[in-house]
Amino acid sequence: MATITIDSVSKVYGEDTVALDDVSLTIDDGEFVILLGPSGAGKSTLLRLLNGLEEPTAGTIRIGHETVSGTRSDVAMVFQMHNLIESASAYRNALTGALNRTGTLRSLATRYGPDTERMALEALDTVGLLDEAKQRADSMSGGQQQRVGIARALTQDPQLLLADEPVASLDPKASEDVMGYLASASAERDLTTITSLHQVNIARAFGERFIGLRDGEVVFDGTEDDLTMEVVEEIYYEDSEHVESVDRTERESSERAVVDAAEGGS
Amino acid sequence: MATDDRSAGDAEPSVNADTRIENARRRLWRRRQLRRGLYLGAFLSVVGLTYFVFLDFLGFSFAQLTTDRATTQMGKFVDGLLPPNFEDVTTYTKENEITGLDALWVTLSTWEFGLLWGVVPGLWPTHIMDTLAAANAGNGNVLVSAAYTTVAAGFVGTVMGFPLALVFGVLGSERVVPFPFNFIFRGTMSTIRAIPAIVWTLIYIPIFGIDPATGVLAITTDTIGNLGRLFTDELEEIEDGPIEAVKSTGGGRIQVVVFGMLSQVTNSFIAWTLYILEINTRIAITLGVLSVGGLGMYIDNQIGLLDAGYQNAMAGIFVVIFIVLSIELISSRIRARLRPGESSGRSLLDAIMNLGDPRKWLGRIDD
Repeated sequence: MATITIDSVSKVYGEDTVALDDVSLTIDDGEFVILLGPSGAGKSTLLRLLNGLEEPTAGTIRIGHETVSGTRSDVAMVFQMHNLIESASAYRNALTGALNRTGTLRSLATRYGPDTERMALEALDTVGLLDEAKQRADSMSGGQQQRVGIARALTQDPQLLLADEPVASLDPKASEDVMGYLASASAERDLTTITSLHQVNIARAFGERFIGLRDGEVVFDGTEDDLTMEVVEEIYYEDSEHVESVDRTERESSERAVVDAAEGGS
Repeated sequence: MATDDRSAGDAEPSVNADTRIENARRRLWRRRQLRRGLYLGAFLSVVGLTYFVFLDFLGFSFAQLTTDRATTQMGKFVDGLLPPNFEDVTTYTKENEITGLDALWVTLSTWEFGLLWGVVPGLWPTHIMDTLAAANAGNGNVLVSAAYTTVAAGFVGTVMGFPLALVFGVLGSERVVPFPFNFIFRGTMSTIRAIPAIVWTLIYIPIFGIDPATGVLAITTDTIGNLGRLFTDELEEIEDGPIEAVKSTGGGRIQVVVFGMLSQVTNSFIAWTLYILEINTRIAITLGVLSVGGLGMYIDNQIGLLDAGYQNAMAGIFVVIFIVLSIELISSRIRARLRPGESSGRSLLDAIMNLGDPRKWLGRIDD
């Protein structure tokens, strides 16, 4: 297991869309970290960089002593839209976590080997879905699907578990369930976990360390006690100019939407 | 347009809601008028082209449909067609000169226990089994063997075309093969598609001779172009999520394609293949006109005999309807079960097992 070091990382999309601006963080082994921030703050970008799905424009990310470049099997990700193979069972989905160490030919023949099979079932057990292992992913509820997503990540046997808004498309009850399973899975395996969330109340219930991002910069880094109302407001709302400009863009785009809709209907 | 409005709004913040709404309404009205004008223009061009340019060129006039010659011939044809003569339905009826609907009746009322293809036990119609046992594929004179040739050619053409369509279809997708290179496969498929199956048959006849195998090869070729294209299109529609998920597990390129992409389209690929099977059965009938065998060849031969053959041709047409509708019914039932809404939470196995329930065939119950 290893420490995660994020060293002066920036990410610029296209010419001048700055998603992350000189972010430096250190995350210790076994920490459960929650990223907070409004849409467009850079939470997803940071997670995608950690996962190697994208490359930083500047700076480096290290896991232990290794610099992250490209996706790797020891970093697992839980996605907002679960991203399961819908036509496959929960079990088959969990097994896809082991693709990397299984190898192409054996995975195509679905010969994952008893160790991996046991591991996938243990992972499903961890998220309380052992009895549903045979069920097709698209016949499950949103919460269950997301739990299969966690099981797939656990089957990867990762050093680092990432979750990008894992409960954003779930109802409050399912959100709590999923976050509960994520937290307990992480604690059981002493797994370094970084998850982004936008519901502050849920974050409070599960987080140990909170990092607030805004406009691509770290604006807060502390524990639950430090996360006061003022801090939350600073992360989300304080910038009145920003709020106003969002408001205006929204109004304009909704006007245009009305025009489009009327034309489409004629 | 939107930019103009905003700058106007900025300059005169006092512009009230009524004016803005009135402006929006007027703008929409102008767009609608423009659209109506375009539709009217398009409609008039189509009508004009048809009546004043193309019909004239083709020498077609509606008076042709009612000339004396046309009406007498049509009368003969209709007289000849009814009732259909099933004399040629099996070798038994043909040899014993049992004609008309009696032939059909004799064929469908004599059953015995036996083995289909020497393997599948069951109660089968005796005369059909005897005919098939003695038939060779080139025989276009007996309806049962002609129908068998047609169904077999459509089926084999689809089965042989499928793997090639899969390879070309997957490699033709921009998601699998990067941009300029995928066009090697897309281009090949487009070229194949540009040539109709019947022209492929004409091309193959000098090479392989007038033989059912030529028809099968033409259908196979056609399948690569058509089914492959459907596969490529389907792959363009898939979602990025699962692909990203497989990538993030550290999966290799082939694993990303198989688990991230193909897993999303398995059901639609099966559905499209069944759809192409329906089409290929029809193509197999058409190809018979070039004497490569099957129902098309039977009908062509009988129509060639004019008055003497019309009744037999009609029997052939009935068999065509029966064969095509049967294949369509089976295929569309399976396809319906594969559609996302209906199949969610259900395996292909369930879908196939449910085929046994006649109520579903008639659409009486949804599930």
